[in-house]
Amino acid sequence: MEILGHVVYGDVTVWDILVFITIVTSSVILAKAVRINLKKALSDRIPRNVLDILLKIVYYGIITIAVISVLPQIGINLSGLLVAGGIVGLTIGFASQSVVSNLVSGLFLMMERPVRIGDQIRIGDIMGFVEDIHILSTVVRTYDGVYIRIPNEKVFTSNITNFVANVARRFEYVIGIRYSDDAQKATEIIKKVIEEHPFALKYPAPQVFVNELADSSVNIVVMIWAPSAVWYDVKMELLWKIKVALENEGIEIPFPQRVIWFANRPGGGERDELGENVPA
Amino acid sequence: MIYGPHDYDLFYEDEDLKIGVEWRGRHFKYYRESNGEKVEKILAASGGRIIVNPVEPVNLPQKITNFLEIDFEKPVLIEPGTSVKLMVKFPVEIGVFVASKKSVEVLDIFTLTKPKYTLYGTPMSGVVCRWYSSEIYFELPETNPLKEGVMDITIKNTSNDWVEVQKAVFDGYSMKIYYGDIVGMVAEMKVIGKSVAETTFINRPIKSGLKKSLELYTARMIPVVERKGFLMEWGLK
Repeated sequence: MEILGHVVYGDVTVWDILVFITIVTSSVILAKAVRINLKKALSDRIPRNVLDILLKIVYYGIITIAVISVLPQIGINLSGLLVAGGIVGLTIGFASQSVVSNLVSGLFLMMERPVRIGDQIRIGDIMGFVEDIHILSTVVRTYDGVYIRIPNEKVFTSNITNFVANVARRFEYVIGIRYSDDAQKATEIIKKVIEEHPFALKYPAPQVFVNELADSSVNIVVMIWAPSAVWYDVKMELLWKIKVALENEGIEIPFPQRVIWFANRPGGGERDELGENVPA
Repeated sequence: MIYGPHDYDLFYEDEDLKIGVEWRGRHFKYYRESNGEKVEKILAASGGRIIVNPVEPVNLPQKITNFLEIDFEKPVLIEPGTSVKLMVKFPVEIGVFVASKKSVEVLDIFTLTKPKYTLYGTPMSGVVCRWYSSEIYFELPETNPLKEGVMDITIKNTSNDWVEVQKAVFDGYSMKIYYGDIVGMVAEMKVIGKSVAETTFINRPIKSGLKKSLELYTARMIPVVERKGFLMEWGLK
């Protein structure tokens, strides 16, 4: 027991250090327990991105309060720290510019919130889902499931494309039909298929029109608005439904084709559209 | 009538819907067939109640919003300082709940109507809404309560201008649905300016003899701050 009273430095004893370690460890355990219980209680009541931020605030809040309250136990006076903090801060600031830069960028990102957890984004050349936003970095899960950690400074200074920030977005198809098909009928069929889909938005109304008389087909452009939350599902479902509906009505999507005329072909009669000789 | 509380002997069948709960020796089985969709679930429960009632029509085919927009097939022009009471139809979604002594859980949600969605406002700041188009009625219209409900709307023009109203947008979290031989809600629309209005629901049945529906967010114990209503700030046409 004598060792507990042994002075380590100043008037801080081994006992004081043990008390400090115990309280900090207990606070970490307590913070983890609170986090787990909060997660269990709130996970189906609060959106995940809000819950993650709340859990972090609670977790780090408990630990920070515990550490600050127990610091005097090991002889660290907070008022002294404030004075020393200026000089130390300056030194640390110079020494860890990139860390501070990431930290500040992280704070600005949390305030500005151009992305949220769960959003589909592109930052620079990285595309995927935002998995987590830490104070120093942002974690992205790419569409093929790869974990990418991006320093917040890079996130903050890059062009950020958030594919789901707006409530609705538009996508389009170009559908080619044969020159012999009725384009008016084709647009009506396409409009009907779009109307049947619940998430192809009524307004802004979809647009379907002949856009180009191309080499091998008459190209119909189809523009559809869908809720951002489901736009990719809608995009995937509708294209095939349109293709099937057109084919059911005898309208086909042609292969690329070229008409070849043989100038020295014997016979010299009229030629039909396929280049075949038609008897005179 | 399918609506209301049932023991574990629920059975209903018509040309659009087949639904029921049956004992399978060791457990109960819930089944439902409608719109070409088949659902079967095993109920590991010793008994209890099955509650079937209309719920907020903003859940299918997938929950992406909480708002309902009803477009009037003919616009309504309202004189300044006056009000008009009219009725419109809205789509019905049916919730099936399993209830024990301690709690209620959502077992199934389905609809016999075709859902369609729309955007009210701009893509950046508007809201996605379940969309429905309705004629305007001044008396209770006939409806199939499994498919459509009737909403009684009182539109008050508190502005100093004539206003033309062709749509109403509602927040599903404040819906108060009642059921019986019809499904109904009572709502109010207060027109503040030529293109701004506030919609609210009133917690009373459209006619006497109707029972209050169990709301989805109540059943799911989702903490919702009771909202006063929805502010239609992106136009009434």
